[in-house]
Amino acid sequence: MDRVRKLKLVLWTIFGLAFAVAVTRFAVGLGATTNLNDGYGWGFWIGFDVMGGVALAAGGFVITAIVYIFRKEEFHGIVKPAVLTAFLGYVAVIVGLLFDLGLPWNIWHMIIFWNPHSPLFEVGWCVMLYTTVLLLEFSPVPLEPFSAWAKIRAFLIKFRMLFVVLGISLSTLHQSSLGSLFLIMPHRLHPLWYTPILPILFFVSAVMLGFYMVCWESLFTTHMYRREKEASLLGKLLGVARWVMLLYLIIRFGDLAVRGQLGYLTEGGYYTNLFWTEVLVMAIIPFILTLIPRVVKSTAGQWFIASFGVFGVVLNRTDVGGLAHQIGGGVHYAPAWSEYVVSAGVVSLAGLIFMFFVEHFKVWEHRPADPHADPETLPEFDSASQVSLGTPHIAARSTFSLAFIIAMGVGFMLLAGEKVTSKGIDPTPVHAARGDQDTLWIDGNLDGYGVAFPHKVHETNNGGPESCVKCHHMNLPLDKQSVCAECHYDMYIAVDAFKHDWHASPDGGNVQCVKCHNEGVPRSADTASLKEGVYDCSACHNDLFPAGATIVVEQYDALGYAQAMHTLCIDCHVDTASARALAALKYNQEEPAGSDAGMDAGAKDYSQAELIAYNDEHFKVLTKCSVCHTGEIRETVQLTDTQKALGGTVTACPVLPPQELKK
Amino acid sequence: MSYAILTDTTRCIGCRECVAACKVTWNLEGDVPRRWSKNDGLSALNWTSIVEKGPDEYVRKQCRHCKEPACASACPVGALHHTPEGPVVYDAHKCLGCRYCMMACPYGIPRYDWDSAVPYVRKCIMCYPRIKDGQQPACTEACPVDATIFGDRDELIAEAHRRIKAEPDKYIDHVWGEHEVGGTNVLYISSFDLSCLTYGRPLDDKPLPARTRPAMNAVLPTFGVMFATMGGLGWLIGRRMENAQTDQPEQEAPKDNDTSNDDQGEVNNG
Repeated sequence: MDRVRKLKLVLWTIFGLAFAVAVTRFAVGLGATTNLNDGYGWGFWIGFDVMGGVALAAGGFVITAIVYIFRKEEFHGIVKPAVLTAFLGYVAVIVGLLFDLGLPWNIWHMIIFWNPHSPLFEVGWCVMLYTTVLLLEFSPVPLEPFSAWAKIRAFLIKFRMLFVVLGISLSTLHQSSLGSLFLIMPHRLHPLWYTPILPILFFVSAVMLGFYMVCWESLFTTHMYRREKEASLLGKLLGVARWVMLLYLIIRFGDLAVRGQLGYLTEGGYYTNLFWTEVLVMAIIPFILTLIPRVVKSTAGQWFIASFGVFGVVLNRTDVGGLAHQIGGGVHYAPAWSEYVVSAGVVSLAGLIFMFFVEHFKVWEHRPADPHADPETLPEFDSASQVSLGTPHIAARSTFSLAFIIAMGVGFMLLAGEKVTSKGIDPTPVHAARGDQDTLWIDGNLDGYGVAFPHKVHETNNGGPESCVKCHHMNLPLDKQSVCAECHYDMYIAVDAFKHDWHASPDGGNVQCVKCHNEGVPRSADTASLKEGVYDCSACHNDLFPAGATIVVEQYDALGYAQAMHTLCIDCHVDTASARALAALKYNQEEPAGSDAGMDAGAKDYSQAELIAYNDEHFKVLTKCSVCHTGEIRETVQLTDTQKALGGTVTACPVLPPQELKK
Repeated sequence: MSYAILTDTTRCIGCRECVAACKVTWNLEGDVPRRWSKNDGLSALNWTSIVEKGPDEYVRKQCRHCKEPACASACPVGALHHTPEGPVVYDAHKCLGCRYCMMACPYGIPRYDWDSAVPYVRKCIMCYPRIKDGQQPACTEACPVDATIFGDRDELIAEAHRRIKAEPDKYIDHVWGEHEVGGTNVLYISSFDLSCLTYGRPLDDKPLPARTRPAMNAVLPTFGVMFATMGGLGWLIGRRMENAQTDQPEQEAPKDNDTSNDDQGEVNNG
C-alpha cells in the first residue's frame, strides 16, 4: 500500500474514534468524557488543541512575511502549503474549542457581548478575523480551476498584500495574547513561567515555531508524496530561525534573571525538570544543531531540528496551559483517553483536509501524482468473492469509510457502560471491591483514598446477621423518601441536624430558650451551658434508632458520610483495640505467664493514651491513616487483612489529620 | 455604598446553618463530590461550605466578591460583573462556558456543572436578589451565633478592627480581604492563619486585572505599529526590488542580510 493511503487509513481510524467521543461529549457533558475538574477547569483541549494549534499555525504569517514583505522569492513554493496549514490550524482550534466550551452554541456571543479587558475576548476576535483573512489569502488556490470565479480570484490576488499585512498584524496580537491569557494567574503559574512579558515570549516563540513548522511540514509532505526535496531551502530557513532561537533564549533567561528567579533553575524537582526539558527541546538543542553546517544541510538533521522544535514549543504551550500550574490541595488532573482521542481526531481531520487540497488543487508548483490512481495496487474485481470493488479510487474510499465506521463503533463500545451513564463519577461512596465480593471499597468523600473494608469478617466477628444494626442505619444512602433525609439532605456534607430555629418557632413546638439553655442563649459552642439530658436528641425522639444501634445522636451535627465512617470505624476499633491492649498489658506485666487471672479487677488502670501507645508498638492498628487507607488500590484490591494493608502507601490523608485519631 | 460580609472564625461553631440556608434559598440539590475535585466542600451545588482547619477551627468558604474581580475581568463576554452594591453576579444567558473565570479566580471559587450537558458556572452571588429587596443574604441571616454578619463594608472593617483591638490576644492582627487583590467584600478575622483560603502562592494587594491591563492596553498600538511597519517595509522593499531588477539584477546577496536584520527588529518590537 502506498504511504499516503496508509496514513489516510490511520487518520480516518482516529477520526472515527474521535467522532464517537465527540457525540458522547455533547450528549452527556464534559464531566463524563473528560477528567476536567474544579481545580483544573482547562485541560488538554485548551493546552494542546488551542494553545498548541494556534502556535502551530505560526508558519503562515512567518512565511508570508518572508515572501511577500521581505520578497524572498525563492521561498515562494512553500507559501501556499504554509498558508493552508495555518488556515487548517485555525479551523482545528475553533473545532477543538467547540468541544471544550461548555455552551459552544453561544460562541457567537463574543461578537455582541464585549469585554475588552479580557485577553480571551481579544483571542476570540483575532481567531475570527485571522481565520477569515487566511481564507481570503488561500482561496485563490481552490478557485483556480473554476473560470466562473476568475473575477473574484483576481480581486483577491490584487489585495493579497493587504491580507498579508493584516494577517501578520493579527497574528502578532493573537500569538502574544495567548500569553496574556495567563497574566491574570500569578497564583497558579509557577514563577519559572509567570512573567509580565509572557506575551512577548509567546510571540517570539511563535515566530520560532513558524520556521520549525514550515520545515517540518515540507519534510513530512516530501516524504509522504515522494516529492523533490527542498533541503537547501530549508537549510536557509533554519539559518534565519537560529537567530530567533538565540533571541528567545536571551529574553527567556534574561527575564528570569531580571525577576530574580534564577534560583528555581537549580532547585530540582518537577518544575525545574519541566522547565529544562522544555527549553532544551524547544530552543537550546535546535540552536546548537543549527550551528553545525553539516546538520543544517542534511535532511536527517533538518528532521531532527524541526521535530524537536515543534515538540518543544507545543510543550511550552501545554506547560503554561496547565502542566506548570501549581494549585495544591490534592487536586490532580491527567487527561482522560477520550480527551487525547478528540485532540488526535481534530488533528487527523485537519490532515485529511490538507491532503485533499494538495491532491486536488495547485498548492504546490507540481501537484503530486494521484496516490489513488495506481492501478496495480488494488484489483477492480475480486474474483474470489465475485465482487466488483470499483476503481482503485472507490476501493480506497471504501476502505477509509470502513475504517471510520469500525473505529466509531469501537469508540462507542469503549465509552459504553458506567462512564457514560453515571455522570462520569461514582454515584456511591461504597463499592463491592473487585475480585472479592466480601470486601467493600468505601470512599466516603470520593477523593480516591478509600478503605478496603472486609464486610464478611466484620459481620462474623460482631455476631452474624444480628449485628447489622450496629452499623447500618434505618435508611439507605441517598434515600430521600425517609424522614432522615430532612436533616441528612446531603450525605456528603456535615449538616446541622438539630433545627434550632424550627424548635424555637411557633410552628415547631415554640420551645422556650430556658427549656434547653440554662444561662441564656449561648454565643459559642460551649456545650457545658446546655442543660443536660435535653442535649441528647434521642431523649425526646426515642424512636430514631432501633434497639442495639451503636449510632447515637449526641451531637448537634449530623455527620457527613466520611466523618460518619470515621466515627463508626475508629470508635469501634479504639474500643476493641483498647480492650485487647489492656488484656495484653495486664497479662504481661502483672501476672505470671499462663495465668488466667490477667483480667481481674484491681489491676492497674491504663489511660487511653497509654493503650494507644501500646497498640502503636504492637498492633499498629489505630494511629496511621495508611492502615485503612491503603492508597489507590481499588482496581486491584485483595488486601483484606491488616498485615497486608500495612504495606500500602498513602500519599495524602485528606480527611483526617492524625491527631484526631487519638481523640 | 458597598455591602460586605464579615466572618469571625472565633465565633463560628461549625453548625453549617449557613450552608443549609444557602442550599434551601437557591434550591440546590444534594451534591456528590467529584474525584480529584478540590476537597473544600464547594461545588456547583454548594456555594458556601465550612472548612475544618483543626479542632474548633472552622472557616466558612464562599465567593469573596472582590472589588476588582479577576473573574469579571477575564470573562470574554462579560457574563460576570461587579455590581455597585458589592456582589459579583453572573448572567447565565451570556456565558459560553470557557471557564476562564475558574482559572482566573485567586480563591478558586467558581465551580462548574460538570455533569450537565448544558453546564453553567456556579458560585455565591451574595444573594443579590435578596439584597436588592432590602434583605440580608440567607447565610448571614441563618447564623445562630452572628459569626458571619452582613453590612456596609466600611462599617464592617471598622467593626473588625474594633474586635481585634478589644481582644488582641485572641485575634491575628489582620483583616483578610481588606487589601488583598484590591480588597474583597467578604472579610475575615480569625485566631488562626487564613492564607489557606488561597492557592499556595501568596497574593499581594495588586488587583489581578491590573496585571493584564498593560498587555491589553498595548493591543491596539501593537496592531497599528505592526500594520504600519509591515506595510511600509513591504512597499519599500518591493520598490527597491523593482528598481534593482530594472537596473542591476545581481543584488541578491547583500539584501539578504538587510532583510533578516529587519526581521529581528520586528521581533523586538512585538
